[in-house]
Amino acid sequence: MQEWLNRLGPLLGLLLVIGVFSLLMDTPARFLSPNNLRIVLSQTVIVAIGAIGMTMIIISGGIDLAVGSTIALTGVITALGINDGLAPSVALLSGILVGGLVGLVNGLVITRLRVVPFIATLGMLGVARGVAKWMANEQTVNMRGTWLNELLVMFPNPPWLLVAPGVWITIVLAILAAVVLRNTVFGRRVFALGSNEAAARACGIATDRLKIWIYALAGLLFGLAGVMQMSRLRQGDPTVAAGSELDIIAAVVIGGGSLNGGEGSILGSMIGALIMAFLRNGCQQVGWPNYIQEIIIGAIIVIAVAIDRWRSAHA
Amino acid sequence: MRKLLLIFLILTLATSCVKNNGPSSKKKFTIAVIPKGTTHEFWKSIHAGSNKAAQELTAQGTAIEVIWKGPLREDDREQQIQVVEGFAAQGVSGIVLAPLDNRALVRPVDDAQRAGVPTVIIDSGLESNDIVSFVATDNRKGGTLAADRMGQLLNGKGKVLVLRYAEGSASTTEREEGFLSQIKQKFPGIELVSTDQYAGATRDTAKRASENLLNRFSDVVQGIFTPNESSTAGMLLALQDIGKAGKISFVGFDASQTFIDALNADQLHGIVVQNPFNMGYLGVRTMVDSLMGKPVEKKIDTGVMLVTKDNMSSPEVQALLHPPLDQYLK
Repeated sequence: MQEWLNRLGPLLGLLLVIGVFSLLMDTPARFLSPNNLRIVLSQTVIVAIGAIGMTMIIISGGIDLAVGSTIALTGVITALGINDGLAPSVALLSGILVGGLVGLVNGLVITRLRVVPFIATLGMLGVARGVAKWMANEQTVNMRGTWLNELLVMFPNPPWLLVAPGVWITIVLAILAAVVLRNTVFGRRVFALGSNEAAARACGIATDRLKIWIYALAGLLFGLAGVMQMSRLRQGDPTVAAGSELDIIAAVVIGGGSLNGGEGSILGSMIGALIMAFLRNGCQQVGWPNYIQEIIIGAIIVIAVAIDRWRSAHA
Repeated sequence: MRKLLLIFLILTLATSCVKNNGPSSKKKFTIAVIPKGTTHEFWKSIHAGSNKAAQELTAQGTAIEVIWKGPLREDDREQQIQVVEGFAAQGVSGIVLAPLDNRALVRPVDDAQRAGVPTVIIDSGLESNDIVSFVATDNRKGGTLAADRMGQLLNGKGKVLVLRYAEGSASTTEREEGFLSQIKQKFPGIELVSTDQYAGATRDTAKRASENLLNRFSDVVQGIFTPNESSTAGMLLALQDIGKAGKISFVGFDASQTFIDALNADQLHGIVVQNPFNMGYLGVRTMVDSLMGKPVEKKIDTGVMLVTKDNMSSPEVQALLHPPLDQYLK
């Protein structure tokens, strides 16, 4: 029962946001239309894929601040790959692998050099961004049109897909990640690592190797998010997604993740990402200025965590 | 005695002139050109134009070195301030600056002036009296041209949406105001349904804002105006995604290959094009003129014109759309 309430918390928040905006809107039918849903889902994909990786990292008690830079870097790499005549699937793969490589380096710095994750990834935030600008020659990288550009279109081809292919990819990945986290040895170890690292090590878990795996795996997801970003813009932009790491962390936290580790769920993080996308979308359509959106999103992050604390104190 | 004194005076003057002239004709002026960002095609043209000025002047015997450096993101004021401060400290001969903000950059520019480094402002205004000259597009006129085109496209009646660029950017605000006031004055039959939303600094933010706005207004509006390259690009992507490109009269600002293709495909019905190449060129020329002690105008217009599918192939427009970038950028 208690567990179900915990699950429902973020979902109720999402419904509340949608409900409030429907009331505020003079054309609620349009706000609730399938087309608007398509827009919001497409806009959520990048943050959502990032949040899948971030959820694993945060459950394990870590943090990754380099996501935004990784997204920019992998988007640029993929665009450059296409320009160099690689097949789109190979370019896609190279983008994802570079993301994984960035994560692997993060994991190695954290475990081998004993640098705390906050600092290690803060460093990577600068390094990856710089490399992205360097590779892109300080310009945006325009590339020829390929099927990669169709990943996040509003009206997918074939139409029976209903939503963009990228949205389906995100849903499949989210389900996979949720199953892995809940039902596999790897997943249980991630929770154990985040709940109590010393105890996990005492139980015979190779915590260092586990951490490297977690960061590398999350990196692959961030790489995919970078490809999605490139697909949305139809160019590799080395300056894109600055600050999106905070959106991604916020999605995880709104969804019940704890920065102390040991807590968090993929479903919650996905809902957290949707809440933020709906807030942006709604504020814009009601005609509120940007600063109101920023204030509201900021307040909601704090309120969500406060409710979470209150609930666990009374559990 | 008086004659002797006069001769002496003339002699010293002459030798001092020689002394001054000697090194100064060989002296190298270093001009720092600081754009708002480096990722838009617009800035590449400015860069090419300033290089052209440098090459011409160098060929005429005044050695000019242009240093090109900007913040990579168009909305990073802090980074641009640091770039200006860096050049002032480094002691370049002069700065040609496209300020990201009409106030935030006042202090560093005034400080540079005090440190003996004068500044020519290009592209976007700066609320300072300590500048050599303001070399820019008449942005208000650009907005007015866009409004005239919109009125013509809609036959003077319909609903129009304006997606603004970003808070605090003087040049785009003037375009927006020029557009709005011309619509209000000249086309009372046109209703402005949304004029208070901002596209933000990048294509990504512009696309997101456009999608959200179009969901609400795409069945209502007959016309859309966007005031710069990134907002026009974002809106165009959003229109293409929902299959409305070409169905709504769309007037944008600035030029890029994507926009030219869209004009040909009737997805974009007019772009107001500035002359960034000329802006970069005149920016550096004005700076050098001033450094050499020539009088310069306080305000220099670099020209703006409306480009449509009809006039696109005229040589005048072709020169504007395809500035000789390759020739001057290596």
